[in-house]
Amino acid sequence: MADVRLTEIRKSFGALDIIKGVDLSIETGEFVVFVGPSGCGKSTLLRMIAGLEDITSGELTIGGSVMNDVDPSKRGIAMVFQSYALYPHMTVRENMGFALRFAGMAKEEIERRVTDAANILELGPLMDRKPKALSGGQRQRVAIGRAIVRNPDVFLFDEPLSNLDAELRVHMRVEIAKLHKTLKSTIIYVTHDQVEAMTLADKIVVLRAGVVEQVGAPLDLYDDPNNTFVAGFIGSPRMNFLKAQVASIAPGFVTVSLANQPDVQLRLPAAAPSVKVGDEVSIGVRPEHFRAAGQGDADLVVAVDVAEHLGNTSYVYAHVSAGERIIIERAESRSAINREKLTVGLSAASSFLFDSAGTRVR
Amino acid sequence: MTPTPAPSARTWRFLPAASTYIALSIAAFVSLFPFVWMLISATNTSIDIIKGKTSFGDAFSTNVTNFFTLVDVPLVFWNSAKVAILTTLLTIAVSSLAGYGFEMFRSKMRDHIYSLVLLTLMVPFAALMIPLFMMMGRAGLINTHVAILLPTIASAFIIFYFRQSTKAFPTELRDAAKVDGLKEWQIFLYIYVPVMRSTFAAAFVIVFMTSWNNYLWPLIVLQSNETKTITLVVSSLASAYYPDFGVVMIGTILATLPTLLVFFIMQRQFVAGMLGSVK
Repeated sequence: MADVRLTEIRKSFGALDIIKGVDLSIETGEFVVFVGPSGCGKSTLLRMIAGLEDITSGELTIGGSVMNDVDPSKRGIAMVFQSYALYPHMTVRENMGFALRFAGMAKEEIERRVTDAANILELGPLMDRKPKALSGGQRQRVAIGRAIVRNPDVFLFDEPLSNLDAELRVHMRVEIAKLHKTLKSTIIYVTHDQVEAMTLADKIVVLRAGVVEQVGAPLDLYDDPNNTFVAGFIGSPRMNFLKAQVASIAPGFVTVSLANQPDVQLRLPAAAPSVKVGDEVSIGVRPEHFRAAGQGDADLVVAVDVAEHLGNTSYVYAHVSAGERIIIERAESRSAINREKLTVGLSAASSFLFDSAGTRVR
Repeated sequence: MTPTPAPSARTWRFLPAASTYIALSIAAFVSLFPFVWMLISATNTSIDIIKGKTSFGDAFSTNVTNFFTLVDVPLVFWNSAKVAILTTLLTIAVSSLAGYGFEMFRSKMRDHIYSLVLLTLMVPFAALMIPLFMMMGRAGLINTHVAILLPTIASAFIIFYFRQSTKAFPTELRDAAKVDGLKEWQIFLYIYVPVMRSTFAAAFVIVFMTSWNNYLWPLIVLQSNETKTITLVVSSLASAYYPDFGVVMIGTILATLPTLLVFFIMQRQFVAGMLGSVK
C-alpha cells in the first residue's frame, strides 16, 4: 500500500493540452474514483500514473518516490483494463502468473499467489481455460486476479465494468467494493458512470477538459457541488437547472425569481453572494428534491411531457414556461402524473444557486 | 400461338444460386485443368503430348528415370528449399518487425516513410534488375544464394500486410505487457507473435510460394548448375533443342509438390490470417 501525489501534472500532445495542471493527493488505502465525461482526460491521467503515457511536466510520487520516469513494472502498480487485456494464447493460470514468472519469482511462490488470488475471486474451476472460453464477468475477475497476484502498492482500474451488461456490472461493482475491504489497498478507478463513482469511492475526483473541477467524498459532492458541471454530473437523474434572475439581496440571503414566472420566487441562503440584483442566475434542483404542491417555499407549474413508472418510483419528464426541460421524481404518487399540468413545490433548503458562469453562489 | 409460361417464383429463387455454382464451376475448371493436364502429360511420351493426347499413358516410369538421370534432384531441391525457407524466415522477421513498428510507434515521419515504402510497390522489377545485378556484382555475390535473398527480404507488400493486420492487435495487450515488465522486443516475441500467429502463417504461405516459384531474378544471378533452383532446372529442360515434355512434366509435378504441401498444411491458418488474426 502507498500514497500517490500528483503535483501540477500536465500532459500535452504538441500544442494540445490534455491535462492542464492537476494537483491531487491520494492517501494510503483510499479508493479514489476519477469521473468525468468522455474526453475529459481521466484515462490519460490514470495512464500517466501507470507509466503508459509520459508526463509533460509536474511531479508524480508513489509511496514518496518520484515516479515520472520509472518503468511501469517498477512503480508498484497493477492495472485492470476496460477490455480485460488478457493474453488470449495463455490459460487463466498462465495469465495470472505471467508477470511473476517474468520477474523471476520462484515457481512455488507463483503457484501460491495465483492459488490465493483464485480463491479470493472464486476462479478455481476456470484455471486451465483460455480467455475465449470465459464469460465477460469471468474475464474481468481474471484481470483483477492478475493484478492481485502482483501484490501492488496501488491498483489502477480503467473503466473495468464498461463492457459488462447491467446486471453483471452491479455484481462486479459489489465484488470490487468487497475486494477493497479485504485487501485495503490504494485504488484509483476511472469511470464515466457516476453511479459507480458514488457507490465505490472514498473520494471522487471530477474532471472536465483536463482540469479537476472538484474533489471530495461522494455525498459531499452530491450535497455541496462547486459548479453546475459537478452538480449536473453527480446524481442520477441529473440535476435540473432553472433560469432565474436576482430579485433582491439581503444579509445571508439572495431572492431570485424564475425566468418567465416572476411570481415564483425563492429565498436562498448565501453568506457571501457574488451576484447583484438583476443578474442572470440558475437554480439547481435535484429530481428527488421537488416537493408536493404547497409543501415547499414556492410552487411551480410544469407541463408534463411523459412519465416513466419504475415501480418503486416514477419520473416525470416535463418543461417549464421558460422552456427548460426538467425531470421530477415522484415516489409518493403514481396517479398525480397522469395529467397535462403538474404543480410541484420548490424548497430553498434543497436548491442550489449558481451564477451566470455556472459557479456556485454560497 | 401458346404463350410461354412465366417463370415461377421458385425458378427465380434458385437462379442466383445456380449462377453462383456455374461461375464457381468455370473457375474450378480453369484452376484445376492445368494440374490434371500436367498429371496426364507426365504419363505420356513427348510425342503423345505434342499430339495432344488427353488420356493417361504408360511412360511415367520412363519419364521419372530420365528426369532423375538428367537432374541432380537432391541438390536442386536442397537449393530451392534453402533459398525458399531462408527467404521466407528473413522476410517475415524483417517485415513483421517493420509492420509492427510502423503501427505501434508514432512519429511525424512515420507516414511519410511508410508512403515511400508503399511507393516501391509501383516500381516494376524489370526496372530494378540491372541496378540490382550491378550491386550484387560489385558485392561479389553473383552466383550465390545470398544474391537472391537480399533484394527480397524487405518486402513492401508483406510490410503493408503486417501493418494492416497489426491495426487489429489490441493496444491494451501491449499496455498490459508493459505493466507486467516486458520490454518492447519481449512484447513482440511473447505477446504479438503468438496472438498474430494466423497472420504469420498466411505471410509464410505467401512468401514461401513466391520464393519457391521465383524465376526471373535467380535466372539472372545464378549461373552455375550447382546453385540453380528447381524452377530454373525445369525451365532449362523445357528450353532444350529437343525438349522431352514428359520429363518436363515430372519436373513440374515435383516443383509443385512443396508449395501444395505448405498450403494444405497451413490452409486453415492461412484463411484465418487473411481474415484477420484477432477477433
